[in-house]
Amino acid sequence: MVTIAFKDLAKSTAASRGMPLERICFTPHPVWGKTDAEMYAYLEGNDPVSGKPLMKEVTDALTQPLTAEEEKTGQVEISMGPAVYTDTFENLQQYYLDNGMTDFMQIVIPTEEKLAEMLKGTSHKPDEIVGKMSPARGSYPDWTFNVRQVAINAVMAGAKPEYLPTILAIAETGLTSLSSSTNSFATAAVINGPIRDTLNMNYGIGAMGPFSQPNAAIGRAWTTLSRNLSNSGIPGQTYLGTLGNGVNYNNLIIAENEKNSPWTPLSVQKGFKPDENVVSVFVGFSISQGQGGIGLGVKPVPQYHEAIAYNCIPFGPLFGALIVCDPLVAQGLVELGYKTKEQLADWLQKNSLISAKNARSTLFANRWVPDPKTPDDSMVPYYQRADAYNFVVVGGQTNPYHMVANMSYRVSISIDKWA
Amino acid sequence: MSPALIAGASAEAKDKAVKVAAGPVKLTGLNPKGVAPPVQLVPMAPRLSTLDGKTIFLVSDGFPGADHFLDQMATWFKKNMPSVTTEYRLKAGAFPDDDPKLNAEIKATGNAVIMAIGH
Repeated sequence: MVTIAFKDLAKSTAASRGMPLERICFTPHPVWGKTDAEMYAYLEGNDPVSGKPLMKEVTDALTQPLTAEEEKTGQVEISMGPAVYTDTFENLQQYYLDNGMTDFMQIVIPTEEKLAEMLKGTSHKPDEIVGKMSPARGSYPDWTFNVRQVAINAVMAGAKPEYLPTILAIAETGLTSLSSSTNSFATAAVINGPIRDTLNMNYGIGAMGPFSQPNAAIGRAWTTLSRNLSNSGIPGQTYLGTLGNGVNYNNLIIAENEKNSPWTPLSVQKGFKPDENVVSVFVGFSISQGQGGIGLGVKPVPQYHEAIAYNCIPFGPLFGALIVCDPLVAQGLVELGYKTKEQLADWLQKNSLISAKNARSTLFANRWVPDPKTPDDSMVPYYQRADAYNFVVVGGQTNPYHMVANMSYRVSISIDKWA
Repeated sequence: MSPALIAGASAEAKDKAVKVAAGPVKLTGLNPKGVAPPVQLVPMAPRLSTLDGKTIFLVSDGFPGADHFLDQMATWFKKNMPSVTTEYRLKAGAFPDDDPKLNAEIKATGNAVIMAIGH
């Protein structure tokens, strides 16, 4: 049984899992939030795809003998299309766009010449396998890709050869930037190490905005390669985000402002050395402003920790918290006694509380709820572990602001290994 | 099976042969796609000849509302096919995860499964 909103997804997933004729019956959408009577009316009504009585279809699906097609076995190879396309510049732009290979903006046409130039950015062989990726791990087949294929996508995104190791490291994470989820997820990549300066990445004023070629092109390449190397981003089939997310254009690329941070770089927290170049990836709902937090107006010292806790209240428990602080905020927090990121995480975990009743009523509460014996009015930690909180310092110190992202840390990958 | 359902636009790309337009300057662009794994066809389970006296497991994968929907389906069976026994279960793990323990229980004690996906 699948709701009609996921018709194409259900059929394509069944096909990709080897059961193209799986007997799927459809209900109207949504079922969530409907009354008993409304649900029952769905069952008494027709399947919106076939137009036939729904429960007759359900019982028939269980009792009608299998056809020869339904009993088939064997292997089906999947075509990936022609190796090259030859045409004028304008027609090729249209071709890549029409065939869903772009982010709907003009690309750099990936010719053999441009690919050869891009591949100078890595010592690795073009046919070396980089990794696997899917629109949602476990829900779709993983596609495999090599250095050459990542480099083609880097060309398309406007990257320079020296960006390629960072893009390869992002690709190796296997995390698509175009998650299939109905939630319209966003992704973030935090970059640490000397490569931030080598590439002239922006970690000062406007660090997360469109003001730097490496930040922009690396982020765009993540989406281009997600689309082409994992089949992510086909609306209705491999992308179901109901609202969509503008962050997906080139993602949150955050080169940590290590020079002006009083804290340990994120990569070092994750076990790397300070001189190693590392990308750490996050996924979650999105990022939002932090200026509205309580405590920021307290004089003479703004209570940044209170503001961060307040700004995380709307967070869904499906993901943790990525707190992005201008260096002025980080320095202020040190003055308030939070000498390390870990100390701040520990305070937030203990002091960001929600009533057990509210926790139980939170979306996704079917996956995380306090112990049933906990009284409704008891206050419980929003997150069960302090490491649900991660912090990155970035920005140009024009004002002591922070942003909060309802995102979870996934993995850190060495950039150096792809040099 | 339509490969387009699996490979998305890539399969369409093959079907639509690139037309070489007139014009002095032409470029050759490379295919940016990764490699999809081959699909191993899985035969479907044999069907029951009747549902009379059978046990049907109603399984939710955890999306909001699926449990409620299946509860109403159990009510439907009770009213319309009273000889059918229904057993509701919430599949363990994240949405796409397999639940071997539940699968074993269904094989041992059930005759059919209706799984609800969506919200």
